Amino acid sequence: MRRAAWLLALGVCYGACLLVVRPDLPRLWAGLPRLARWLGGAFPPDFSGLPDLLHRAAETVAIATLGTTLAALLALPLAVLAARPVTPLALLYHPARAVLDTLRGVDGFVFALIFVAAVGLGPFAGMLGVALHAAGSIGKLWSEALETADQAPLEAALSAGASRAQAAVMVLVPETLPQTTSALLYVWEFNIRASTVLGLVGAGGLGQELKNAVDLLDFARVLAILILIITLVLAADRLSALLRRRLA
Amino acid sequence: MLRVRGLRVALGGRVILRDVALAVAPGEVVALEGPSGAGKTTLLRAIAGLLPIEAGQVEAAARPALVFQQHALAGRLTAQGNVLVGALGRLGFWRPALRWWPAVETAAAAECLARVGLADCAGQRADRLSGGQRQRVAVARALMQRAPVLLADEPVASLDPENAAAVLALLRGLAAREGLAVLVALHQPDLAQRYADRRLRLEEGQLCPT
Repeated sequence: MRRAAWLLALGVCYGACLLVVRPDLPRLWAGLPRLARWLGGAFPPDFSGLPDLLHRAAETVAIATLGTTLAALLALPLAVLAARPVTPLALLYHPARAVLDTLRGVDGFVFALIFVAAVGLGPFAGMLGVALHAAGSIGKLWSEALETADQAPLEAALSAGASRAQAAVMVLVPETLPQTTSALLYVWEFNIRASTVLGLVGAGGLGQELKNAVDLLDFARVLAILILIITLVLAADRLSALLRRRLA
Repeated sequence: MLRVRGLRVALGGRVILRDVALAVAPGEVVALEGPSGAGKTTLLRAIAGLLPIEAGQVEAAARPALVFQQHALAGRLTAQGNVLVGALGRLGFWRPALRWWPAVETAAAAECLARVGLADCAGQRADRLSGGQRQRVAVARALMQRAPVLLADEPVASLDPENAAAVLALLRGLAAREGLAVLVALHQPDLAQRYADRRLRLEEGQLCPT
């Protein structure tokens, strides 16, 4: 009976989703030849003006790197306030967690859109957008690392007369370094991926080139940009994995 | 000198310790025995100031140092880094945070490690030391506090007989040579008999005659 109720609820949920999305298979079928034509036209990929593309790729890496760094600076005090064993102000524990959840809840793309309106087009707006969203993710991951760390060394430091802040910096920070650094690298790697599309809203990086190429239906160029994006993401992934292994 | 009078501790509304009174003189090693759950750890933590006291008094010249049962070392710090944690109570925030320790403290940490026989292990990470070595580092961290009273909560519970004997002999030697008042919770009566000057028994939160 209970299982039937669950299945019914699931069915209702999927039914509602289908009503909203209205999947139209004949339309997909009709569009397939167009997709095939574009795919055919994409070969060979157009790497002309490679220095410009590489400049955009560097912009993407810079947005992600500076954005993640700024995010880490914003996240540090919030993570400390949002970690029960080390928070110096218990009163701010829940507000700090709410701020982290809010930052995480709004996508970097949306923040970038707002910053483009506020500070103008370009990678600076992208960096700010990435930083705000990533601060929520990093703060959340760091506060959880601090909360789940072995509390015995912290207690030993407190029993030796250390203040809570001293004990946190001297004992918990080094103890959680593999987790916190790993979280930071993971978010940086995620930000590289996210930064590749920020250009769609005018916030710099490879996305800007991608949008231009799609608008011009220049699919050879689109393929070249996609190849660059995939190479960039894979390189970031490998580098991040290598650094994480070394820190373990 | 450690003196405890009429100590009463309640946790979560349950009375754990009732009217506990004891004294440990400088240079004396007192063993605290009793079954699991008798309140030995609670008593040591209350004396160390880690638990609130409902009634009674703890008198000691300075905050007692506590050696924890499972050493409670920071595994990624070196032995010396862990010993230096014992000095945090007398230092400000920034110098230790920047790992810019006063030379006098690093020399003191080296000396504490030498006193527990680990002068050669200063630069080794704590999680790469043996169980016996870790417990000695925990003792060195307690010594770094320069407290006249040393509390040890079953410091040999997880050690093999050889290392257990070595750690207790170390505590015994520190009491004799340096005049520390040592109160050590122990599970093994034979070790208490061998290394303690006096034995106390705690049962259901009260001290009983041994």
